[in-house]
Amino acid sequence: MTNFINRLTLPAVIVVLVFGVLFYAIETAKQNLEDSVMISGWVLFGFFVILALLNVRKKLIAFNFGAVRHWVSFHIAAGVLVIAIFLLHTEGQIIPLGLYEQVLAVLFWSVSVTGVLGTIIINVYPRRLTDTGGEIIYDAIPAEVMALRQEAENCVIDCVNSSGQATLSDHYSETLDWFFRRPRFYFNHLLGGDRSSAWVNKHVEEVRRYLSENEETFLNQILRLALAKSTLDRQFSCQDLMRKWLLFHVPLSIALIAVSVWHVIMVHMYAQ
Amino acid sequence: MSEAAKIDRPTRWDAAFDADMTDADFEMLMARPEITDIDAASFPNSVSVEGIVRYDMRVNRYNPGDIVVREGDYGNSAFLILEGELVIARSPGIPADELGRLQADRQGIMQRITNLLINNSWIPEVRDTERYTNRASSAGTQNGKQGAFLQDVPAIMRDQDTIILNEGTLFGELAAIGRVPRSITIFAEKAATVMEIRWQGLRDIMKFDKQWRQTINDRYRQTALDSYLRQIEILNDINDEEFAEVTEKCLFETFGTFDWNITFKRGNATEPIIAREGDYPDGLLVIRAGFARVTKQYGNGKRTLTYLSAGDMYGLDELYKAWKDPDTDSGGLNCTISALGYVDIIRIPLTVLEQHVFPNMQSAPETQFSLLDRTVSEDALLEWAIDKRFMNGTQSMVIDMHKCVRCDDCVRACSATHGGNPRFRREGQIFDQWMVANSCMHCQDPVCMIGCPTGAIHRSIETGSVLINDDACIGCATCANSCPYSNIVMVPIRNKKGASIIDTAETGQPIIKATKCDLCAGRPGGPACVKACPHGALDRIDFRDFHGEAFGE
Repeated sequence: MTNFINRLTLPAVIVVLVFGVLFYAIETAKQNLEDSVMISGWVLFGFFVILALLNVRKKLIAFNFGAVRHWVSFHIAAGVLVIAIFLLHTEGQIIPLGLYEQVLAVLFWSVSVTGVLGTIIINVYPRRLTDTGGEIIYDAIPAEVMALRQEAENCVIDCVNSSGQATLSDHYSETLDWFFRRPRFYFNHLLGGDRSSAWVNKHVEEVRRYLSENEETFLNQILRLALAKSTLDRQFSCQDLMRKWLLFHVPLSIALIAVSVWHVIMVHMYAQ
Repeated sequence: MSEAAKIDRPTRWDAAFDADMTDADFEMLMARPEITDIDAASFPNSVSVEGIVRYDMRVNRYNPGDIVVREGDYGNSAFLILEGELVIARSPGIPADELGRLQADRQGIMQRITNLLINNSWIPEVRDTERYTNRASSAGTQNGKQGAFLQDVPAIMRDQDTIILNEGTLFGELAAIGRVPRSITIFAEKAATVMEIRWQGLRDIMKFDKQWRQTINDRYRQTALDSYLRQIEILNDINDEEFAEVTEKCLFETFGTFDWNITFKRGNATEPIIAREGDYPDGLLVIRAGFARVTKQYGNGKRTLTYLSAGDMYGLDELYKAWKDPDTDSGGLNCTISALGYVDIIRIPLTVLEQHVFPNMQSAPETQFSLLDRTVSEDALLEWAIDKRFMNGTQSMVIDMHKCVRCDDCVRACSATHGGNPRFRREGQIFDQWMVANSCMHCQDPVCMIGCPTGAIHRSIETGSVLINDDACIGCATCANSCPYSNIVMVPIRNKKGASIIDTAETGQPIIKATKCDLCAGRPGGPACVKACPHGALDRIDFRDFHGEAFGE
């Protein structure tokens, strides 16, 4: 977190200076009875475009437009600035009057909130994933889930074949099969809970008293696989969130810019 | 994409060192006593002497002022003077600005825009197969010339302490075999004709001909001693006569095996002891090539303090103390030194130091290594990195997993820079928060180059990066199998239409090529992966300078 704050120091200083200059310009305009909303509006729109350029920069990696990490630092600092500029522009109103302006404001606040959440996510979840262990590439998780499930099912079949008893297989079908089918306990993992391991332990231990020594060795193997699956589920949940939040932030940003363009056109049409 | 195209499977000598070698040059080389003295019968049919001369040698003709080898360059070949003389500028050395260095091809703005717009990244590993049908000379310099030219040879001859190399002199074999940079600059004062042999040919000749092997081994030892001793600071103050005596009495030792990577990959790497803690030192140890681990007894185990690499010394403070105060009980070595893979050591005997070095020293040398200033936790990363042999890398891709959001922007950037084919995998060994990703580390000791039959994998003359010349790669996978870190990937290739390329032979096997990270050679601004990381979580580091501090700030 300290490193993250250090990275933001210079962009934050720039942003504060920009805000100071803008505030002074608006106050001067007000004193001269000029239209200060035009100033804040154009600056706000300019920052929307600048913030959106981060995505363009990412695509143009072959060109020397500075390291993306610097762009991201500026993006975050400027993202906070536009909230202040927005409030200056709306003169303190969070949701202004007028249906179109309200749509614009809702989009703006949605982008801002997803941005703030994203900033929290990128600072919290990488560390949580590292502490979880079992690092795996996101795209490989479904195959790994499938492999664990296959291994667990083979274990159950081997148990039936070797013991001639269906106790473990019946219990597996009724409980653990659900767990192995796909990633589970998504939100619990995101919130840092360990419901998954507790659930696994409960369902493993409740059947143990009905198993022979031979069957117990298979149960222990299933327990090992289930705990590995639990770690995998945590990897899935955290990695999924770190990717999915952008699916809200980016499209909403594009919509915001599109609606803003129309807002600018309309304002200038009526201004004439 | 479904239709397969056929080409001849590339072979050992497809890419000749000099594709334009004339028959006259070939016959001249074959008539040289150095070649005629070789016992051709001891060579297998697949690697004949004629084949080596024809395909692994070339004849370079130098004009006055032409630079033959340049100090600091990584070379993959040795030289034999056929006619004329060459000059070594020994001291004070030719200024860097007069040496001039070849610039690698840089991607221009237009080329980068074109790559952005016309990118057939939906077809993996596309190659222009036309190139393979017209195979030219392999990687390295053009016609053996560095492209640099000394403007004022008379002034250099006047101002420099020079050594003349006469006809029949063999040189450059140290850099070619030892995979170390050239230690001196050699140029032509007058017109000279020189045979150049790439190291694959030299390796084969050494393997099958006893006389060449003996000569090169002797020269290897003599030259290594001389050139390395001259770089040691404590020997700077002694005169030439004393220096000759030092050279004569020094011992040249080798620990470990040249192909250490094989045992390491099998998981049974050994670390032969070079000097043991507590033993009485009998000489100063200077690392000439390779790596050595420095450990000290700690509890019931050995704790790693650091590692030594080329140019580092060990034992000076202990030897000096013992000389200064012969009655002291603490004359033993402070630490144990063991070989990490392959290590060349120069041992300067105590008697030499006592006679020529210690009397001239103004003050006692400082204790080199100490446990006092670091905790076990602080050393844990280094301990792990050495166990994994990551100290070999000069550009290891390290990812701070506490910052990495697993977005794969680094992989996408790599892919975009390499025609849609990422040249690394974002996975690898993890210690604490640090992941060393499966990306070429551009090793100080690049064992991947050892077995390459064509010289396709080579050192960049300009940057020292390890690169693969795709045109010369025959897909033998020797480099991929040699890489101790599994960072070289063999890929089946396709032509521009997307058709798989298969062998014209009946087997119809796919033609494969070796691929790996090239540090985005030719792309201004350095590796795209580092530039693309949105949170500064990825960097290219040398473990010698890295102690787990945050990067990307």
